[in-house]
Amino acid sequence: MQTEATLAQSDVSELDLVKRCQAGDTEAFDKLVTRYRTRVFGMIYNMVHSEQDAWDLAQDSFLKAWKSIGRFRGQSSFYTWIYRIVMNVTIDWLRKKQVKGGGSEFDDAIQLTEIDPASKTVPRTEALPHETMERDEIRARIEKAIAQLSPEQRAVILMKEIEDMQYHEIAEALGCSIGTVMSRLFYARKKLQNLLRDVYENV
Amino acid sequence: MKTFEEKWTAWLDDQLSGHELSEFEASLPDKAAAETEKAEARKLRELLKRELSAQPLTNEEFFSHQLREKITQKSRELPRAVAGQTATSRWWTIPRLLWAGSASLAVFLVFTVAVIHEKNPAEESQYLTQILNARVDPIVSPNATVAIFEVKQDRVTVLWTEGLQSLPADYAAK
Repeated sequence: MQTEATLAQSDVSELDLVKRCQAGDTEAFDKLVTRYRTRVFGMIYNMVHSEQDAWDLAQDSFLKAWKSIGRFRGQSSFYTWIYRIVMNVTIDWLRKKQVKGGGSEFDDAIQLTEIDPASKTVPRTEALPHETMERDEIRARIEKAIAQLSPEQRAVILMKEIEDMQYHEIAEALGCSIGTVMSRLFYARKKLQNLLRDVYENV
Repeated sequence: MKTFEEKWTAWLDDQLSGHELSEFEASLPDKAAAETEKAEARKLRELLKRELSAQPLTNEEFFSHQLREKITQKSRELPRAVAGQTATSRWWTIPRLLWAGSASLAVFLVFTVAVIHEKNPAEESQYLTQILNARVDPIVSPNATVAIFEVKQDRVTVLWTEGLQSLPADYAAK
């Protein structure tokens, strides 16, 4: 856990990096990318449930951040600012995919049975311990449940429960009010509780 | 004024305190059921945190490398695009715009004058001639024609007739 002093120090250096980026320093931007790439990728992956798509969307998000870094005024943290870009890119992508897929994408995208048995990416079940299999099943259940939420509900639940972000930070990242964030959290939690009750009760 | 959903969410996340907390808890119809749901929400949070937070980014360095490549490519494209825009906009300087505007106005005036002249050619002419061809009574003179030439300036009118057998007393050119 970061102390206030280290937090302040990292904030100062982050602001310094941002200023260097605004002056066109790509190395400074590279450092910011290194700092956030794993979290950004993980966040997007949990929303789209595809490694390749998450990779591409994370690349797009950072590229947009580089292009618009001149407009960053430091009124919010860089972390909140980059999350706003990430959320815009990812929610737009999910909406377009939903429209193209006729709305069924959220419910049925995660089908483990659709994986080609000959594919190299398929885990070799005979070599995996029972616990790992069980964990894979749990993860698949969670992903399938999250896939049934709207893009905005996914965003709030992941930012709150995984990233531990405050209501106002989520609101800033999504460009909506705190009340809207709390309301979306309410419905997202209710839905996930209904879908995953047997999972969290038995784990 | 907070809605029930907002208060419930804040209560689950332990964000209510003091008077707001006691007021909300007093408003709950079944506090035991609410506490159970709060415990469930915590279990859900723990489950999500445990299962979803460990999604690693493989090939981290390649990720950064690919991004650097894209940024370099975009940076190369940008000056070219800006240069193209500058070249286009440089042609329309203010003196050129003024010159083009004046030339357009002159051309417009020339055409306007020409069109007015075309519409009233008689006023420019010294002799305004009005020719009327009319047939006189077809029973008396079946092949007769009559023409009138008029010069307004000289107040002269010439009546020209052809093929008349006789001129009726009550004749009038029509």
